[in-house]
Amino acid sequence: MFHKLIQTFDHLRPFLTAKAHCDVPCGIYDPITAQINALTVVRMMDLMSVLSEGDEKNKTDFHNSITRYIAVKEDHAEKAKHEIRVIWGDFIKDAHVEKYPELPGLVHKIMQLGSKCRQTADRDNGLAFVEAINQFAEIFWAIKEFQIKKAKAPYAPGLEMVYPDL
Amino acid sequence: MLKIIKVTGNSLSPFILSGDFVLISTSHRQFKNLKEDDPVVFNHPEYGRLIKLIDKNYPDSENLKVTGIHEESISSHKLGLIPYSDLIGRVIFHIKQPRSM
Repeated sequence: MFHKLIQTFDHLRPFLTAKAHCDVPCGIYDPITAQINALTVVRMMDLMSVLSEGDEKNKTDFHNSITRYIAVKEDHAEKAKHEIRVIWGDFIKDAHVEKYPELPGLVHKIMQLGSKCRQTADRDNGLAFVEAINQFAEIFWAIKEFQIKKAKAPYAPGLEMVYPDL
Repeated sequence: MLKIIKVTGNSLSPFILSGDFVLISTSHRQFKNLKEDDPVVFNHPEYGRLIKLIDKNYPDSENLKVTGIHEESISSHKLGLIPYSDLIGRVIFHIKQPRSM
């Protein structure tokens, strides 16, 4: 009961937080989650486009499907942004930024493109989002001293992705 | 002075869970009397604001060695000694969220 009350206050005016920080979950970073989320955004844009070209726009099923595609697009664009923010905040250090001075601008660009993908259904925004996150992945794997390879994703929309060459 | 702090992360589980709140006393006078297993909130130069348990108090040099409970907690060695000047406060009350059985 008391916890619920304090939680309500916390929602209204957040208290300071203190981390009971664990090591293992924070040692696992991989931009692939962001890459797949961005790929999903493009996939949803494609599905929306196909559906909108059909003749069944007055049917309930159309509205149901298009709403679901939009919801997934929104969700995955935000998830991609979140994943990049976590790597940016928790993994990237000053020395990495010194070595790759384009990183801050690239992260900012990813945030903006993610928002554009939510605001619009423009496939070009989706492609730019995937491309920017691929660039981020390239730098990430360079920091980790892994070679990379580029290959088409084995599922629609089959865009070229950056993977570590293990 | 008293402050309420929200805990995130699980290095003190099952004692303190992510989402619990703690009431801390920020009075510096009590720091010399802190003892083993007392939970404290402090600033760490690398990890930010943390909550850990005291492993050992060194009142002469005004430093603390702190530890977590969970096996995945950052090691005391990695955290280093915490000077009193980085201490924010001692936990005096724990506001637990309902625990599922």
